[in-house]
Amino acid sequence: MAPPTGPRAGTGRAPPRGPRATGGGSGGGIQKRRANPRTDRDGDVSMDTPAGGSGRGGSASGGRGRGSKDARGGRGAVNSRTSSRVVQNLQNYVSGGPVGKTQSKNMATLKIHGMSNSKATGNPDGGLRSLLTFLERKASKDKPITIGKVYSPIYGPPQARDICNYDKRIVDGDYVWITVRKDDAPEILRLNGFTYAGAPLTITETSERMPRPEDKISKAAEETKQKLTSVLARRYNPELKLLDLSSLGTDAILSSMGTFNSKDLAEKAFKVLVVLASQQYKTASEKREGIQAVSLASNGLNDVVQVFDLAKSLPDIKRLDLSSNNLDSLSKIAKWQHRFQHLEELHLTGNPITTQPDFVAELIKWFPSLQNINGQIVRSPEEVAVALKGMHPTPLPQFPSNLRDGEANVASIFVQVFFPMFDTDRARLAAEFYDDDSWFSIQAIANSGRNLPWKTYLKYSRNVHKLGEKNPATVQRLFTGGNLIADMWKALPSTRHPSMENPGAWLIDCHTFPNLADPTGHGFATGLLITVNGQFEESDTTENLYGKRTFTRTFILGPSKPSNPPPVHPYRVISDQLTLHDWTPAELPAVQAPVINQVPQAPVANAMPPAGPVILDDVTKNQLIQEVMKRTGMTAEYSELCLSGTANWNFELALKSFEEQRANLPPTAFINAV
Amino acid sequence: MANITKDEAIIRSSGEAARAFTDWYYTQLTDGKPITSAYVNSNAKYLAASHPPADICINGTVVATPEEWDALLEQQRLIPFTGSKGKVKYEVEGFDVHVINKDYRFAAPAEIQAATDAKLMQRTEDARLMMVVTVAGSVVFGGKEKGTPPKQHFSDVFVLVPNWDFVTRPKFKGHKRYLVASHTYRAY
Repeated sequence: MAPPTGPRAGTGRAPPRGPRATGGGSGGGIQKRRANPRTDRDGDVSMDTPAGGSGRGGSASGGRGRGSKDARGGRGAVNSRTSSRVVQNLQNYVSGGPVGKTQSKNMATLKIHGMSNSKATGNPDGGLRSLLTFLERKASKDKPITIGKVYSPIYGPPQARDICNYDKRIVDGDYVWITVRKDDAPEILRLNGFTYAGAPLTITETSERMPRPEDKISKAAEETKQKLTSVLARRYNPELKLLDLSSLGTDAILSSMGTFNSKDLAEKAFKVLVVLASQQYKTASEKREGIQAVSLASNGLNDVVQVFDLAKSLPDIKRLDLSSNNLDSLSKIAKWQHRFQHLEELHLTGNPITTQPDFVAELIKWFPSLQNINGQIVRSPEEVAVALKGMHPTPLPQFPSNLRDGEANVASIFVQVFFPMFDTDRARLAAEFYDDDSWFSIQAIANSGRNLPWKTYLKYSRNVHKLGEKNPATVQRLFTGGNLIADMWKALPSTRHPSMENPGAWLIDCHTFPNLADPTGHGFATGLLITVNGQFEESDTTENLYGKRTFTRTFILGPSKPSNPPPVHPYRVISDQLTLHDWTPAELPAVQAPVINQVPQAPVANAMPPAGPVILDDVTKNQLIQEVMKRTGMTAEYSELCLSGTANWNFELALKSFEEQRANLPPTAFINAV
Repeated sequence: MANITKDEAIIRSSGEAARAFTDWYYTQLTDGKPITSAYVNSNAKYLAASHPPADICINGTVVATPEEWDALLEQQRLIPFTGSKGKVKYEVEGFDVHVINKDYRFAAPAEIQAATDAKLMQRTEDARLMMVVTVAGSVVFGGKEKGTPPKQHFSDVFVLVPNWDFVTRPKFKGHKRYLVASHTYRAY
């Protein structure tokens, strides 16, 4: 394969002024073909379509918006050659020739060495076009030589696209690869040893496979990458976590690579260096830790646009040294405005901007963490904390539970009974609050898997968003009727919900709404919508898994049907939707002070548990009594006493007071008193 | 399509309606466009029938009108440090929907209320639905270019009722087939 060539010595600062594509520019009749073979994205010389032939010749610079000179060079000569080119290309098609996908038997592959040493390397395309023109012009005097595929190194300075998959051209050391018709090969090979733009050309025929786009990163780019990596290694200070990209212009290796032949190239070298530097780290946090400071001092910068990519590749740096550049106004730093969220220290000494009176005040508005400019403390850590918080849109304030469940506190009582019973006696819960028309389903939002596995739930998950509304599973995973629901609940892992005594652990919103169907079949009934957000502990004994899940549970309560079997509660669960997800809130239900511009429009937030005497219907009271009896073994009478006392019909409180008073209770308080 | 039972037709119809609604609603939120038209408040038929305004409860605070909810969303987009507006991206990760009244007729056209037209009743059988939709997803506050943006989980619960302007047009599948009668939002 291509032997790598060492860096060229002594490339001057000024772009070499090698011969331009003189053939193309002259427009004379020497060329057999257009001056600028248009290379397509695969590096192949593209065919102009017959219809578009004349139009595209002029923009043959590859659509990259630079090289307008080349385009101009090409244009003058294009029209006169259009028809012959079209014919040629058609012939190529017919014969499976140069532009064909497979290498035809009629084609020869040639490797040309020498372009990289020529004076034309300073051209934007590394001198490729003028080399091809040169070959075509010199090769034959009687008939057009058609060069087929062309692969060329992107010669000269290290460029971001060498590494970043830009413009799928092949890089293969210092060789340009071309294919020509076998007939034409001798004409080109004849040029072996000719001098092109001051450099001798070596042209050989080869049976090697032409490099392909996927080889791109190999060879020259790899070499370039290695050189740049060594530059980076020398310029990294592990103690200071500093990437020192100062005075790049005096870097011997970079200079030897021709990096500073033009401003354009220097910028690209910088981009590659920064990309490479950030690629040394596997994760963003390693990078953040590894490179905390960057120096771009003494680089003659007059606008940070030239080094803008630093903000993309190393957005988390804390210290930045821009001293001894030519930045003369804020507008020259403006591109970095609101970038570098963590930038604490900025050095601008030796830039004209420092003579402007307002620059400090402006800069701290641009960089939220900035505390130190040119060694002066400009902001306190407290001020930084405020600024940092304000870098993103702000979540709405969180208020406690909002229970608007009517004078009977139906929802409060319901949730107090529901969750402890769901933890302890699901069968009974289903029997008492669910009837034949109740619906229940679970949806698991199983995206991060941070806590517990989802296996148990996924087979039941009725996430219509994920399943698709036409999926039969949306019917199968909908559980209707108390019996079915109870059976399904049996299969779920056991749970323990937090105590209702801890209002901070629950967000319960509830209100009544009109227009449910009345169970008597006439008119409308009022419904109650309860949304509960919280967490529960789960123990999956079959899988031996324990952990916490965050849930949302939505209940629709409506009036009971008269036909429901006793114990008849005045209401039943019409709909019960359980949503489980992995999200662990940073501060679940933090009770925050209202924000000033937030004006509550209606009575807000009865925090749980409701203060004042609770008014309960007898059925619910009975329900609570039954539950206390079951849990404590006390008689109905004592259970009621326990509930109606200081517990104020709060189930959890009643149990607590029972535990406290247990020792003092007479044997007659218990049903199974011995 | 195989024969599906009436209940299956209703279940599917509710899924389609919830899909159309959530697709539209959260795109509007993320794009910073108004969502006021989704609520019963501005619908002439519901107004005429004296339906109460939609019950909107945002993070525990009752909000009187959809316009105020819009204003809260606008406030949420504000980036205090720069004073400019950022993007608040809502991404739905799941929704579930239950039909809670299979024969909703409030504010319906007279012939539906009285059920005089058997054909019409049959044709609108899977469209006269009152539903509860629970949506779960994430909210991301701002773009990555300014550091890792804050993220929250959101839970939205809607009660949807038929938009009678469209119920008699069974081909109509847009988000406006149903209107929001109740909205409970929590993001944490």
